[in-house]
Amino acid sequence: MTEVRDAEARAASRRLLATSERELQRIVLDMHDGPVQDIFAALSQLQVLERALAADPTAAQRAAQAVRLLERALGEIRNFIGAFRPPGFERRELGQIIEGLAVQHETLTEQAVELELPGELGDCALPTKIAIYRILQEALANGHRHSGATRQRVSVERRGLAIALTVSDDGRGFEPRRVLAREEDVGVEGGHFGLRGIQDRVEMLGGTFTLESAPGRGTSLTVELPAE
Amino acid sequence: MIRVLLADDHAIVIEGLRALLDGEPDIKVAAWTTDGTDVVRLVEQHKPDVVVLDLELTNIKGTEVIAALRERTAPPRVLVLTAYNDGESLRSALDAGAEGLALKTESPQQTLTAIRQVHAGQLVFPQAARRWIEGRAGGGAPGDLTPREREVWALVAGGLTNPQIAERLGLSDNTVKFHVQHLFSKLGVKNRTEAALKYAHGR
Repeated sequence: MTEVRDAEARAASRRLLATSERELQRIVLDMHDGPVQDIFAALSQLQVLERALAADPTAAQRAAQAVRLLERALGEIRNFIGAFRPPGFERRELGQIIEGLAVQHETLTEQAVELELPGELGDCALPTKIAIYRILQEALANGHRHSGATRQRVSVERRGLAIALTVSDDGRGFEPRRVLAREEDVGVEGGHFGLRGIQDRVEMLGGTFTLESAPGRGTSLTVELPAE
Repeated sequence: MIRVLLADDHAIVIEGLRALLDGEPDIKVAAWTTDGTDVVRLVEQHKPDVVVLDLELTNIKGTEVIAALRERTAPPRVLVLTAYNDGESLRSALDAGAEGLALKTESPQQTLTAIRQVHAGQLVFPQAARRWIEGRAGGGAPGDLTPREREVWALVAGGLTNPQIAERLGLSDNTVKFHVQHLFSKLGVKNRTEAALKYAHGR
C-alpha cells in the first residue's frame, strides 16, 4: 500500500517538474514578446535622438542617461531569460542541452567550463533531463558566485541505470553542513534554489546526492538520477 | 555601402533599427518586412549584402529562411537578431549557417557593429561558441588540401577575415583570397560559415 502511494507521489512530482518548466516557458515568452522588443526599439530611437542632440550638451546628456538606464533594464531581462528559459528539453538530447548550458555559462560569466561528455551518453527521461539541467545550472551559478575559481569541471556519464553529474572546482570551498542548515528555512532567493533545492530535486526523483567540500579545499558535487 | 534587409515580426523593432541604420553613412536599409515568408522574395528583388533576421518568426522558422537563402548562388550574409543568448539559439544559428548573432537584450549599437563585422566577412559569435566552431579535435581533412589550405581553413573556422588571415600568415590579401576560393571549391562549400561548420563537424 505504501509502495503504491510512494509511486503515485513520485509520478505526481515528475509531472510537476514538467509543468513548472512549461510555466517558465510562458513567462519567458511574455518577456520576450513584450518588454524586450519595446526596450530594444526605444533604445534604437533614443540613440538616433542622442546624435541629433549633439549641439545641445545638456539634452544630449539626458538622452545618454536614458540610454544607460534602458540598457541596464535590458541587461537584467537578459539575465532573467538566461536563467529561466527552458532549453528545448523535448527537442535536444541530454548531451546537447548540457553543452549549450556550458557555452551559455561561459558567455555570461567568462568563467571557463571544462566539459567531459561521453559520445555515447544518449538521452534520458524528461524529468531526469530537466533535473540534471536545473541542478547543473544552479551548481555552475554557485561555483561562479562563491568559489573564486577561474574554471569549473563538469562531467556527465551513465552509471548502470543512472545518469551521474559531477560539478567540481578547486576554489575556496565551504562547510556543507553550515550552508545546508542556513538554507533550511529560506525560500526561493533571487531566482536560485540553492543546495537545498538541488537535494529536493534529487529526492523527488529517487536519486542520490553527494557534496564534498571544506574551506580551502574546493568543492565537488555529484548527483545520480535514474535515467528512465 | 552596406545594403541591409531587416526581417522581424515586430514592426517597432524594424522602425527603430531603420532610424538607427539610416543615420550611418555606410549603411542603407534596402528593404524590410514583418513577414518571414517574404524574405527570400525580397532578397531576390533587392540583393542586400546583409540580412538581419529574427529567429523567432511566427509564419516560418528563422532557420528555414536561412536554409532557403543558402541555396542561392550568391547568398547574402545573415545576422541573426534574437533575445536569447543561450546555447539553444547559438546552436540553431550556427547549424543553420548564419554568419553572426546579435542580441535584442544588448544595445542596438552592438547590432550595428555586428552588421559591419559580418559584412566584412567575420563570423560574429560569442567566444564560448568557438567550441562548436573550432574546438573539436580529431578527424582528418579531405586528402587533397594543401598544407597552406588547411592552415587557411583553420583560420577561416576561427572567424578571421581575409585581411586578418593575410597578416597572420604573412601573405597578400589576394593570395589569401585565392587560397580561400580553392578551399571552398575543394570542400564543396559556398561560404565561410559552411567551411567553419565543416571544420567543426567532420573534417
